Amino acid sequence: MARIQLENVKKAFGKVQALDGITIDVKDKEFFVLFGPAGAGKTTILNCIAGIAMPEEGAVKFDGENVNLTDSAHRNVAMVFENYALYPQMTVYDNMASALRSKLYKTDEAEIEKRIQWAAKTMKMENLLERLPSQLSNGQKQRVAMGRALVRTPNVFLMDEPLAHLDAKLRNSMRTELKEMQANLGSTCIYVTHDFMEAMALGDRIAIINKGRIVQIGTGDEIYYMPCNEFTAQLMGEPQINIVNAVISEMDGSLIATINVNGNNIALKLPEDERVYQKIKESNLTNVDIGLRPQNVKYSFEPKEGYFKSSVYSYESIGNKSVIVAECADDQLRMIAPNGLSVGIDSDIYLYFELDRAIIFDANTKEYIVRYDEQSFIDLAASMEEK
Amino acid sequence: MKTGKQRALNVLQNILLIVYAIFALFPLIWMVLISFKSDTEVFTTTFVFNPTLANYQEVLLRSDYGRYILDSVIVSGGAVLVSIIVGVPAAYALARYNFPRKEDLAFQILSYKFAPEILVVLPLFMIYQKIGLYDSYVGLIWVYQLISLPLLIWVVRGYFEDISVEIEYAAQVDGYSWYQIFFKMLVPLIKPGLVSSALLAFIFAWNSFTFPLILSSNNVYPVTVAIMKYLGTDSAHYGQLAVASTVSALPAVIFALCIQKHLVRGLSFGAVKG
Repeated sequence: MARIQLENVKKAFGKVQALDGITIDVKDKEFFVLFGPAGAGKTTILNCIAGIAMPEEGAVKFDGENVNLTDSAHRNVAMVFENYALYPQMTVYDNMASALRSKLYKTDEAEIEKRIQWAAKTMKMENLLERLPSQLSNGQKQRVAMGRALVRTPNVFLMDEPLAHLDAKLRNSMRTELKEMQANLGSTCIYVTHDFMEAMALGDRIAIINKGRIVQIGTGDEIYYMPCNEFTAQLMGEPQINIVNAVISEMDGSLIATINVNGNNIALKLPEDERVYQKIKESNLTNVDIGLRPQNVKYSFEPKEGYFKSSVYSYESIGNKSVIVAECADDQLRMIAPNGLSVGIDSDIYLYFELDRAIIFDANTKEYIVRYDEQSFIDLAASMEEK
Repeated sequence: MKTGKQRALNVLQNILLIVYAIFALFPLIWMVLISFKSDTEVFTTTFVFNPTLANYQEVLLRSDYGRYILDSVIVSGGAVLVSIIVGVPAAYALARYNFPRKEDLAFQILSYKFAPEILVVLPLFMIYQKIGLYDSYVGLIWVYQLISLPLLIWVVRGYFEDISVEIEYAAQVDGYSWYQIFFKMLVPLIKPGLVSSALLAFIFAWNSFTFPLILSSNNVYPVTVAIMKYLGTDSAHYGQLAVASTVSALPAVIFALCIQKHLVRGLSFGAVKG
C-alpha cells in the first residue's frame, strides 16, 4: 500500500492535450475517485500511474519515490480495465491467477487457490471459474477483471469504471462490497467513474476532472455543497442543479436578485446572511448565477404568496420520486415531486426558490463566490477531514 | 419434416457437389493410377490393368529422388522458418506501432506478390551469379521470402490487430516482461493465423518452379524441377513421372491434414475482421 502522488503531469496524444498539469496526492489507504465527463482524461491518469502511458512532463511518485522510469511490471499495481482485457485463451481461474504466477509476484499454488476462491466468492462467481472469457456475459467479464485485481496485494488498485456494465442490483451490492473490502484490505484505491452516485458513495475524496485538468478535489460533501464552479455543481447531483441568472441590486440595505422568467422580471430578496452579503458586495458584481438544487425549488399548482408563475415542460418519474421540469426563460428548472401527480404539460405552475440554500456563482467566470450557511459546511468538511 | 421440394433441392445439391468432387479429384486419382501402371499400359488401359510397383522401385530406390525431396524440404521449410522469425515481429510492428509511411511499407511488402516470378528471375539470376548465391540453399531460401513473407505478414498482422492492446497492458501490470507477454499471451492468440499462413506459405514454396529452375542447378535440386528429369529427350516415363508427382504431393497433404482444424478458421478469422 502506498501514497500516490502526481505532480504536474502532462500527456498529449498528437495534438490533443489529454492531461494538462495534473497534480494529485492520494493518501495511503485512501479511496480516491476520479470523476468527470467522458474524454476528460480519467483513464489516462490511471495509465500514467500504472506505467502504461509515459507522461511527457511531471512526476509520478509512489510513497515519495519517483517511479517515472519504473516499468509497469515493477510498479506493483493492480488495474481493472474498462474493456476487461481478459486473456481470451485462459480460463477465468487462470486469468485471475496470472499475476500471481508471474516471475515477479510468484505465489505458491495453494495460496493462489485460496485467494481466488475468496475473490470469486466476494464477486459472486464461484461457478464461473472453469469458463473461458468468451463464454461470459459483459457483467461477468467485469467481475472477473475485478477478481483478477483483488487477488493481489498491490501498492494501489486502479479501477476504470469497474461497475459500469453490471446490472443495477449487482452494481449496488458490489458498491457496498467494494467500499467494505477496500476498508478491510487497507489498500489505496484510485477509482474512475462517471456515475455521480458511485463517486459520492465510494470516494473518501473525489477529484473532478475536466479537459485534462483538475477542477476540484474534496470530499463528496464538500464538492456537493461547495462546488468551485458551475461545471462541478452541474456534474454533482441528479437531477442536475438549477442555475438561474440574476441581476443584483441594493435596496434599503438588502440585496435584490432580479430574475427573468418568460419575459417577466421577478425581484427576489436575498435572505440576509452577513457572509453572503459581504462576499457579493466585495466582488462588486451585478450579474450572478444562482445555483439551487432541485429539492430547494418548491412548487404549487395554485397561486401562492411569494411564488412566481411558470409553465410545466415535463414530468417524469425517476423511480421513487419524479422530476418536474418547468420553463424559465432560456433555462429549465428541475424540481423534485412525488410520484403519481397528474401534471399537464404546459399547465401553470407556481415556483418558490429557497434562496437560503442557494449557491452564488459569478455569471461571467462561472466561479463559486459564496453560498448560504457556508461556515457550517466548512466545519462539516473539517470534521470529515479529522476522521 | 422436410417437404418434397426441400429434399429434391438437397439431392440436387449433393449431386452437384459430387460432380465437382470428381472433377477436382479425378486428375489426382488418374495420377495415382498411372503410377501403378507399366509404361506399355499407360495409354492402353484405364481402370483394369496389372498393377506394378516397378515405377516406385525405379524412382524411390534407383534414382536420387530422396535427395530431391530433402532439398525441397530444406528449402521450403527453411523459407517458412525464416518467414516466421522475420514476419511475426514485422507483423507485430505493423499492427501496433505508428511510424512514418507505415501503410506504404506494408503495401510494398504485399506488392512482392504482384510481379510474376519470371519478371524478376533474370536479373536475380545475374545478381546471384555475381554474389555467389547461385545454386545454394541460402539463395533459394532468400528468394522464397518473396513468396512466403508477404502472406505471413499480412495474415498475422490482422491477428495482432484483433488483439486489444489492453490485454498487453493487463499483462504488463500483472508483472510480465515484454518477451513473456509476447510468447505467453500473444503467440497463443495468433497461433491459428500463424499456423495456417505458414502452411500455405510452405505449399507455395514447395510448388515454386520458376525460381529453383533458374536459380539452382546441381547442388540444390528441389523436387518440382527434378520431376522434369523423368521426361527424357526421346521418351517420357509417364509411370515414373506419376510416382514422382504423387510422392512430391504427399508432404503438403500430410501437413494440411495435421493442422486442418486451424486451417479454414485460421485464414478467415483474422482476415475478415482485420
